[in-house]
Amino acid sequence: MLSSWKFWAVLGGIAVVVGLFAYGFTVDPNFVQSPLVGGPAPPFRVAGLDGRPPLSLNDLRGTPVVLNFWASWCVACRDEAAILQEAHLRYEKEANVLRVVGIAIQDTPEKAVAFAKRFGKTYYLGLDTPSGEASLAYGLYGVPETFLLAADGTVLDKRIGPVTRAGLAEWVARISGPDSE
Amino acid sequence: MRLAMLGTMAVLAAACAWALSGEELERRVLEISSELRCPTCQAISVKDSEAAFSRQIRGKVRAMLAEGKTEEQIKDFFVSRYGEWILRAPKKRGVGLILWFLPGGAILFVGGLVGLKLYRNARSREALEAGAAEDTISEADRSRIERDLRRFEEG
Repeated sequence: MLSSWKFWAVLGGIAVVVGLFAYGFTVDPNFVQSPLVGGPAPPFRVAGLDGRPPLSLNDLRGTPVVLNFWASWCVACRDEAAILQEAHLRYEKEANVLRVVGIAIQDTPEKAVAFAKRFGKTYYLGLDTPSGEASLAYGLYGVPETFLLAADGTVLDKRIGPVTRAGLAEWVARISGPDSE
Repeated sequence: MRLAMLGTMAVLAAACAWALSGEELERRVLEISSELRCPTCQAISVKDSEAAFSRQIRGKVRAMLAEGKTEEQIKDFFVSRYGEWILRAPKKRGVGLILWFLPGGAILFVGGLVGLKLYRNARSREALEAGAAEDTISEADRSRIERDLRRFEEG
């Protein structure tokens, strides 16, 4: 039996199927790497919240950007609010190495502003259009999602879920390193 | 008077044409939306979902169709943002072609193997029957078999 090619062919087939299933259990089926990473950031234009002026991608050229999509109804966005505000103060106000921009999606200006005040956000906050122009342009699956844009507008990375201090520090090191834009 | 009537008729005709294109537009929106995956749902198309993202995607499809974009261009836009994941069926080009033809190819391959096996079995059965029909035992062998059988029966 062991010398039969049919035996080994069947065994090989079973091994391939079992291997594929085993691999399938190790990966999160909901996580798909954004095709935007490595390419130019899609253009957008959003209205400013709480008296801030409108903002477009062109306004951000020349500085790396942490572009965060959030919403007042998003529970996970509460977890990262303080971290983003901290990053704004540390890396934007003090070190001036990047900008932190937040775009609220599927939200109302009143609720978004109330959320921002509750969590002490002082960085730029905009509001996506009701038709979700910016959300769809950036291929969002939900909120929070955060993109790292290089100074030349290239999308360097994307994070699904709340940002972390360590993750942001890694991004800062990346844009400040020898390979930075 | 005649001019006014003609003008009214022209306006009515244009309105009918617009209404028709509106229905056709909605049909196309639903058709394309049924082939796009809802980003926030589990295994539901954008057409069948009432999630905010799905409503926005339907709106984007409608706007792109109104701009004159083709189905291919609209799908390409969403693939460029979400990746091939957004398509409920893989594209019929490139690597997607493998996924389209693999199941059919596998069925044909297995069917071919089964057919070949059945054909070979039938051939060997025919050969056996043909062999049985032909008496290939010589007279000398036959008499020796009969002699041995008699000896066996006599003990």
